[in-house]
Amino acid sequence: MKQFITSMIILSLAWMSLTGCTKKKDLEADTLNLALSANVKGLDPAQAGDLYSNTVIAQIYERLFSYHYLKRPLSLEPRLADGMPVASKDGLTHTFKIKKGIKFQDDAAFPNGKGRELVAQDFIYAWKRVADPNVNSEGWWIFDNRIVGLNAWRDGMKDGKVTYDTVVEGMKATDSHTIQIKLIKPYYQLYYVLAMNYTAPIAKEAVEKYGKEFLNHPVGTGPYMLKSWVRNNKLELVANPNWAGQTYPTEGEEGDKEAGLLEDAGKKLPLIKKIVLREITEDQPRWLNFMKGNLDVAAIPKDNFDSSVVAGELTDEMKAKKIELIITEDPDVTYTAFNMDDPVLGKNKKLRQAMALAYNGEEVIKKFYNNRAIKAHSPIPPGVDGYEKGFSNPYKKFDVSKAKKFIEDAGFPEGKGLPTFEFMAGSSSTSRQMAEYFKENLKTIGINLTITQNSWPQFTKKIRERKGQIWGIAWGADYPDAENFLQLFYSRNASPGANGSNYENPKFDALYEKAALLPPGEERTAIYQQMRDIIVEDSPWIFGAHRLGYAVKHGWLKNYKPHRIIDDKMKYYKIDKDLKAKLKAKL
Amino acid sequence: MWKYVVRRTLYMIPILFGVTLITFLLFNVAGGDPAAQMAGKNATAERIEEIRVLYGFNKPIHMQYLDFVRQIVTFDYGRSISSKQKISTMIFGESPELSPVLTSLSLTLPAFLLTLLITISIALVLTVKRGSKLDKSVMVICLALLSFSSLVYILVGQKWLGYELGIFEISGWDPSWTERWRYLTLPTIIFVILSLGSNILFYRTIFLEEIFQDYVRTAKSKGLGQKVILFKHVLRNAMIPIITLVVIQMPFLILGALLTEAFFGIPGLGGLIFQALNEADFPVIRAMTVLITIMYMVFQLITDVLYSVVDPKVTLK
Repeated sequence: MKQFITSMIILSLAWMSLTGCTKKKDLEADTLNLALSANVKGLDPAQAGDLYSNTVIAQIYERLFSYHYLKRPLSLEPRLADGMPVASKDGLTHTFKIKKGIKFQDDAAFPNGKGRELVAQDFIYAWKRVADPNVNSEGWWIFDNRIVGLNAWRDGMKDGKVTYDTVVEGMKATDSHTIQIKLIKPYYQLYYVLAMNYTAPIAKEAVEKYGKEFLNHPVGTGPYMLKSWVRNNKLELVANPNWAGQTYPTEGEEGDKEAGLLEDAGKKLPLIKKIVLREITEDQPRWLNFMKGNLDVAAIPKDNFDSSVVAGELTDEMKAKKIELIITEDPDVTYTAFNMDDPVLGKNKKLRQAMALAYNGEEVIKKFYNNRAIKAHSPIPPGVDGYEKGFSNPYKKFDVSKAKKFIEDAGFPEGKGLPTFEFMAGSSSTSRQMAEYFKENLKTIGINLTITQNSWPQFTKKIRERKGQIWGIAWGADYPDAENFLQLFYSRNASPGANGSNYENPKFDALYEKAALLPPGEERTAIYQQMRDIIVEDSPWIFGAHRLGYAVKHGWLKNYKPHRIIDDKMKYYKIDKDLKAKLKAKL
Repeated sequence: MWKYVVRRTLYMIPILFGVTLITFLLFNVAGGDPAAQMAGKNATAERIEEIRVLYGFNKPIHMQYLDFVRQIVTFDYGRSISSKQKISTMIFGESPELSPVLTSLSLTLPAFLLTLLITISIALVLTVKRGSKLDKSVMVICLALLSFSSLVYILVGQKWLGYELGIFEISGWDPSWTERWRYLTLPTIIFVILSLGSNILFYRTIFLEEIFQDYVRTAKSKGLGQKVILFKHVLRNAMIPIITLVVIQMPFLILGALLTEAFFGIPGLGGLIFQALNEADFPVIRAMTVLITIMYMVFQLITDVLYSVVDPKVTLK
């Protein structure tokens, strides 16, 4: 009998350890492994200013709106909002209903550790935090001078005259699940900004419990929760059992079905239970880990590009490993800016146009982007309302003889009489090389540059203090609306604002102000294009490129359709476990 | 001796203030604008001004320096202006396992001790066999090792040993004490190889200098064996330069190895200053400056004290 009991115990122990093992293995196979190319700073939505922190925040928190995962151009859809909002006729009052039954994730901040239901006040609280000068949110610009009474509340917070309980006229919860926003003037980007992480609802209890450490204790309503975080190393997210849920979209754009992106149509999300995000700042280890199958997807580093992509396609060796190439158009623009405050540069349109004509943009794309970019003819990138395919900028072609003619017309034949300009480059070697190439370009028409290299803080300081002359920089979209790019030329945004060129044109300003009052539609798009034409003619920038994202993914990662602006995307991804086991063994 | 230690410790105070003053002035003159940095890409003039007020960047420079001095005295460095994380946590961690200082040390300290052991042994052998074929070929190898950039060892080691042969992890980290060695093996080997060339040459020169001294001849004529001469006499007498080199390197061990840590994804202190400089993160730069200065001075003092221990001729006054 004793023997029997012992053997039973041994057997059951063996069984337990066996099942334990398979369970652990199962979970590992069902884990999404991704890399972030910079370290995550913190996970407070009010501080979601950098791409990498944002990437994590977007899986944990949700906003009123988000973008349809598959449709292009991007289309906004309700997420926490119950349907699209109702706007008053004058476009000034917007009423949002919130879905019922949404719960925060379980957290020690709540009574008994159980997440409570989301209410309208959680939004108001979060938005006030964005406005609170003591929170010092980078996202304040989304509400600045937009909402009735909010700027006054912000000023009141500085003097301690108001509190979070003080009601702001333009931002009210009319009942537990209704929010009313009153605008100072029409603001048609409002719904877009309500799809940004800055506006995610926050439970006051959590901020009160964790205080300044709230940035390390995210408490959201989203599909995932933070399980662990080793700073500067990795974050682990697991599925949130309280998540209200969502299903995989049943329609997409043309070609999505053929690409297998609709195979999970209608299925309950998230499709993956665990995510490991590794913070890998160097290219080589990121790339090697991908090639070994330790990461499901990776951007192709510049140094590995030629050995993996030939004539726009992956090499046969990569294809044999069932690795797939994914190309996306990033809604961004790179450009060379002139400081319009500069007495020589600012006053000579012909001189600026001459420099634009002398700039060999195609060669730059070949040399420095491995052809992973398209020529920019205007500040408005593809995928953004206002972009016109086929639009051609007359100064965006490499034409040295025309450039020479222009510089002569400007009164500086062969560059005579021109001072040597300072070109501000960043601190990287690529930045230096690009500057050197531009210098060579300008030399052909007799213009001389001296190049200075600057750390990023020095660089931005010089621009903000209007001390730069010419510099190279880029802008990425916050939302898919040309306004986000055209505001870079609005005179009221001049340095230290986002209009670093200090461009000023009353005609442009008038159109900008007019467009701001118009809802999306043909009329507004036409005005955007008029504004674009003014900019192209005045040439305060030399337009560089709209960059293309080149990523590779393993065949086992399914439902992968990236877009720079869609950030709450990991819930849609799926891992084909059997395929992964088969493919990974061969890597 | 204790009097000496106390006096030297007191000297540290003015030196610390001198160093911090210089750092402070340098960053106020040449650094970027932290307020503009924090305001982000859509900033306005008002917003930048608000941040100046919030963080006291609008105060006169001497008042800002006084704030800094207050931080030094109270050991409260506040939060990073870039990540808003607590600086003491960024340096010392929430727990020993997550401590960046201890993470750096778990890479650099074993690697350093290993290097010491290997290089001193090789240097002793070379001293005995000086002028032989072995001596000459090792010298050539050392010079060859020295002539590659450290990046080459990292890139090749990672690609070949980590990726192609799969002997080691390519990169990564596990904070648990029992698991971290898996990720430390390859970087440790590379750390050792990186220091091999220069250290062997250095110790060999030191030992060679000693071996021609009169006391060695005397010992030999007394009939002492090679081993006794080497270990009891030469090594003891070579201790002063060895201690100097070893102790001077200690602060750098704590600060971690920037490139190795970055490429292998080891979350130590290596990248902290680098990142702080890139982001005009004054509070972090200040805290690190104070930390480095103190460590440097403490280890200098330890060197001096050790001198008197190994060499009776040295007295501390």
